[in-house]
Parts: sequence; structure tokens; C-alpha cells
Amino acid sequence: MGNLLEHMGIEKDRVHFSWISSAEATKFVDVVKEISDKVKALGPNKKFVKDYS
Amino acid sequence: MSDNEIKIVSFLCNWCSYGAADLAGVSRMEYPADIRVIRIPCTGRMSPKFVLSAFREGADAVWVSG
Amino acid sequence: MDTCIQKIREIAGDLLEKGEVERVIGFAEGSIPMATSPVAISTKEDAQKLCFSSTCGLNLANYASKEKGKKIAVVAKGCDSRNLVTHIVENQIDRDNLYIIGVPCPGMVDKFKIAAEMGGEITGFEEAGDTLIVSTVDDKKELNKQDYLRHNCSLCTHKNPVLFDVLVGEEVEEQQLDNAYPDVDAIEALTADGRWKHFEELTQNCIRCYACRNACPLCYCPTCFVDESGPQWVGKGQDKTDVDTFHFLRAFHCAGRCTDCGACVEACPMGINVRDFTRKLNKDAQDMFGWEAGLTIDKRPPLDAYSPDDPNDFIK
Repeated sequence: MGNLLEHMGIEKDRVHFSWISSAEATKFVDVVKEISDKVKALGPNKKFVKDYS
Repeated sequence: MSDNEIKIVSFLCNWCSYGAADLAGVSRMEYPADIRVIRIPCTGRMSPKFVLSAFREGADAVWVSG
Repeated sequence: MDTCIQKIREIAGDLLEKGEVERVIGFAEGSIPMATSPVAISTKEDAQKLCFSSTCGLNLANYASKEKGKKIAVVAKGCDSRNLVTHIVENQIDRDNLYIIGVPCPGMVDKFKIAAEMGGEITGFEEAGDTLIVSTVDDKKELNKQDYLRHNCSLCTHKNPVLFDVLVGEEVEEQQLDNAYPDVDAIEALTADGRWKHFEELTQNCIRCYACRNACPLCYCPTCFVDESGPQWVGKGQDKTDVDTFHFLRAFHCAGRCTDCGACVEACPMGINVRDFTRKLNKDAQDMFGWEAGLTIDKRPPLDAYSPDDPNDFIK
């Protein structure tokens, strides 16, 4: 999934997959921070957004 | 919406990551407020439609976690 | 080619006469040159309608699964036979109800390319070996078929049917390719914005007729996601994101199943190279799982089965 989206021009860091067990609250927090940082670096997404106006 | 505010649509499995998010909450841990959680019964419920839908509705990123 | 047509007619007539099959699905000449169309015949006399040429670019496997429970015979090129295999693996057809008339495929021609070369309306099309004799009202040209092959046929490595009950011609030689995906590599070399632009331009002419979906043998869902209304996943209009969503999502549905038969491109009235979407997934299936769709009925497709060796480096 990520590969094709990247192929189409959506940046790879916009789609994330992870595996966290229900006991791993710390890992959850770490992953959220990591993803948030990566996406902030990319800035807001302008592609593929439907314009309802 | 200001430019440095981002939205990450998160699809969390009820039994795994959603539990982890719950645990993080009751343990009063701090994490960025950029994620919008959608609980799904299992990551097997996930579909490419959801990811594309999220982007169409203006998500900046999508996160799928089992 | 002529002996091959004779043989198809003979076999089809025979099968129908003996009652071994109820229908034979094959190609017939269309009402204008180069427009062969799929037919289903059920009498021995009709077998004379069957034909085969370099313009039979559609995929007949698409029609085979629509006759559930009946015994049918299908005229199958290399890619058609791979799609029949896919259908058998996905339980869309029963192997026992299927009689495959295999045709070693010499490659199909790109009708858009020939039309562009000739300029006017084409009034005649004949082929003699590797030479195509195409005529318009005031012009007649001899073209070398190899220069006018469809792109997917020029990169085809499975010209001979992989599964068949009878073969109507000599097997043709399979080509060896150093790089089977030059077009995908070219797109991969672009920047993210460049790639986005490429696909934006690719789909800008799309009129959402769904001909690609209807021609595709993989698209057999009873209700396609574009027709679903609760929830409605994709808008029905010409909105850019709606058009893109349709093409992206259709491509995802073909992951690890597409045989690159080119029926989608063949059917597109706007000349969009729909394969740009699916080819990337074919390459990934090849790179990650060493998989090419529809080669054997004994193996499950990679996205259908779990293996501890599956690549999982995309997961944190």
C-alpha cells in the first residue's frame, strides 16, 4: 500500500504501519512522537484532498 | 487551520494499539495531540478505501497500528 | 494464423456437436476492421464465426466466470490462460467445467498507434506473418508488426498458455528480458512531485466510463466500490480526487493478481495507459514475493497466504 502511494507521489512518511501490544504504552507514546515529528517535517498534505467548495 | 497544525488519522486495533493508547492515558503519559483515533475491531478490518478516504477528507498522514 | 483459425473452428465445432461444452467463448470479426469482439457460440454452425488475429486484445477470461455452473470452452492466449488460472485459484470457475483451447500468442497490435500512423479512418486490415497491411480510403501502408506491438505484448514473457486442454498451434519462443519493468523504473526515478504530476496528467482525460474495470478479468465483485452508496467511497463526478481514487483503488484490488494482459488499456476510449498503476504492483509482487500471477493452480497468491518469510520491514 505504502509503496504504490509513494509511487504515485504521496510522500512515504505520510503512511505508517506499526505493531504495538496493549501492554506497550511507552512504545505507543514513542511511535506517536516519531510519526508526529516526521509528518510535521513534511508539512500539511495538499495532494489528493477533495475540494468540496 | 494554521499550517503547523497537523492531523494524523490513526486506525488502531481494539485489542492492541487501542489498549496501548488506553494504558498510556490511564498512566498519564504525554504524547503529541496530532492524532485522531479511529478504533477498528481488528487491523484485518482495514481497507485501502479507509486510507484514501482519510486523505480525501484532508488528513496529513495515516497511521495503521495493530 | 489461418491454420490456427481453422483449428479453433474445428475444435469448437466438435466440442459443441458432441455436447462436451454448452458454449464456446472466442473472438469474432467486428463490424469494422480491427475491431474483433468477444462472442459466445452454442451451435456447430456458429463455429465458423470464430477468428483470431493480432487485434484480439481483450481478455476472454473475463467472460468465462460469468457462466457459472455451465461447461464452457474458452479460446485463450497466454495472458487469458493466466487469468483463467487466477479465476480457478480464486474459486470463480471450476476447472472441471472449463475446456481451454490454448493459442500460442504472437502478440497483439496497438490500435491507437496504428490509427495515429494512418491518420484517416481505417478501412482494411490484413496481416501476413509479421507484416500488417493497413489501408484507409486513399492510402495503403505495409507496417512491421514488431514496431506496432502493444507495450505489454512487447514485454510479455508468457506468450504460450500456461494451462490448456488443447493447443492449436506450435508453441512460440518466449523472450528473455533483462529488465521487465523499464517504464516503472522511469517513473520511480522522478521526484515525489514529479510522480504526482505524472499521474495527474495520466488521469486528466478519464471520463469515468469504467471500461477498464469492465474489461478486466479481475474485476468480478458483485458490487464494485464505485457503485456502493452506503458509505459512498468515491464521488461520481469528474472531480480530480474522485477520478484518482477510482484508479488508485482499482489498482490496489489488482495487487498480486494482475497478469498485465492489457485489456484495460485496450478498452480505454481515451487512450489512458491504465497499466501505469498496476505495473508498479506487479513489480513489487515480483521483488517482494517472487510472484507472477496466474502461473500455476497449485500455489496460493502471496496476499492470500501467510508465510513467516513475508517482508515486514515497513512495520515499526
